[in-house]
Amino acid sequence: MNNPEITIRLDDNGRTYWPGATLSGEYRIDALESQKLQAIEVSVLWYSEGKGDEDLGVHEFWRKDAESRELGDLRRPDRFSTVLPQSPLSYDGQIVKIRWCVRVRVIFRRGRDLVCQKLFRLGNVAPPKPPRPNQPERTG
Amino acid sequence: MIVERWQYWYTLTIETPNCLEDSEKTLVARNFRYYEKKRGNRRTGSRLFGSLGEAIFFAALLLAGCVAIILGIVWLIVPEWRVNHGFVENTCKVVEKRVVEVKSEKGVFFRPEVKIDYEVQGVTYSPYVYDIHHLTRSTREEAQAAIERFAEQQACPCWYDPVDPNSAVLVRGYQWWIWPALLIPASFVVIGAGGLVYTALHWGKSAERRAATVQSVSAAELFDRPAATDAKYPYIPDGAEITSSPGTRLAYRLPLTHSPGWTLFGLLAACIAWNGAVSVFVVTVVRCFLAGTPDWPMTLFVLPFLAVGIALVVVFARLLRRAAGIGPTLVEISDHPLLPGNRYRLFLSQSGNLTLKSIEVLLICEEEAVFLQGTNARTESRGVFWQPLHVGGGTIIRPGEPLEAECDLPIPAEAMHSFRARHNQVEWKLIVRGEIVGWPSFQRSFPVVVRPATVAHAGGGAAP
Repeated sequence: MNNPEITIRLDDNGRTYWPGATLSGEYRIDALESQKLQAIEVSVLWYSEGKGDEDLGVHEFWRKDAESRELGDLRRPDRFSTVLPQSPLSYDGQIVKIRWCVRVRVIFRRGRDLVCQKLFRLGNVAPPKPPRPNQPERTG
Repeated sequence: MIVERWQYWYTLTIETPNCLEDSEKTLVARNFRYYEKKRGNRRTGSRLFGSLGEAIFFAALLLAGCVAIILGIVWLIVPEWRVNHGFVENTCKVVEKRVVEVKSEKGVFFRPEVKIDYEVQGVTYSPYVYDIHHLTRSTREEAQAAIERFAEQQACPCWYDPVDPNSAVLVRGYQWWIWPALLIPASFVVIGAGGLVYTALHWGKSAERRAATVQSVSAAELFDRPAATDAKYPYIPDGAEITSSPGTRLAYRLPLTHSPGWTLFGLLAACIAWNGAVSVFVVTVVRCFLAGTPDWPMTLFVLPFLAVGIALVVVFARLLRRAAGIGPTLVEISDHPLLPGNRYRLFLSQSGNLTLKSIEVLLICEEEAVFLQGTNARTESRGVFWQPLHVGGGTIIRPGEPLEAECDLPIPAEAMHSFRARHNQVEWKLIVRGEIVGWPSFQRSFPVVVRPATVAHAGGGAAP
């Protein structure tokens, strides 16, 4: 049997969105046996990368449970849409980075989750320039 | 085959790219791991195993707490209650008094015992009794003092158990220390039960679902998201404390990040506590010297502690002198919160009684990341933006004649906004740094909040 595969597409093929803009798109799951499925979760979220431990904030969260017969035909694209928040904006800092993505998580009755995410940028914040040699750096 | 089963049974969070077309990546689990590691932006480990470990830990705490409380009630509280409410009063005759030595791992203790005769329904009982707990004393004198008031061959009241008349006491009452002692197992119960409820609520849930649940519970925001954030601008401090004080020249007077007053207060408290404790030993040592019997080992023991105490006083005096000599630094701002691409006015006032070699005002942006290294939480900061706003110097500041200056505060158009999450933050602040003749240099920090620029976008689509 083929491995299940998830496809996420964003409308406008856009990769950078302004705060307050509408993010919409669709996802599709192929080669999946629905009887093995427990739920599908779709999130629009940000997470941090970099030196620090990960922070994660979910802006929008949808969950479809197999038990409540919400899943339908998984091969057909399922649409999602949300108005993006004012913050936090995407950021490529030196030790703190903020990434936005649409994440689809397929949860099976037994076994591993299957997760797919599509990154996009919120806002247009420039990455900081490399620090000057005399700028302080502290570790405590 | 066994490995396959493990792989299926445990839901993992290690990720490997496997996504289709323009989706970035599909993240699937690999093998079972008993521990978790952070590798770059990826985490490995078993979420289920972690939850199981948490559940076992909290269940053990809860069980230990419950057992300790039950034992405390059964062994300590119930017997006392029965003595005070269920035992029957009678009159007995004191036959004999003695102090029994009880040897244990902690040493030798002494238990007071009194042999009494009393009659219940025609039967005479002659047990050795005192209190219901058969408490021991640390010295023979204390135990002796406890039985001193009972005279041999004299009558005195006693209380016996109607269920078991051979069980009697001469002393009733309650042990006050039992109730505070029960707070320890009670805290175990609270932590264990709370942890179990938390684990149950998060059991088998994905990271996104947990985060969504936490964010939807307002009370949880107090813990997982800093409370002082504007609902319209999530994860940005609202800066309410910054605009709470109006300025005299400009709109707002900025608060200091760390007030020197609190540092001084903390140091003063440390001075008093340390030197107060050390003074007890110093007085003892001095008395020995005055009596002509110097205790040299004690003197040598006290000397390092005395030196630390003196050092604390010296540091406190220097800080106090510097705070009094340098005087307060006031910074006022024309508007707040700040927006990228906008220009603001700053007013600086430096009081004191000093000669300034130089003074400068800087706008700084710092990233701060908190991470666990072993069992320690470490914080790393890195300055990512650094702009001088005002540079001055060669000025004599006299009492009542503060140095005053105004300057522009431009915020770069593409600046990152202030950001505060649990482990990561981006912080903007104004730094006033001064070099003073005859004094160490000083630096004072004033936090400000930068919000994202408001963008007029048409139709809610993607940006170009």
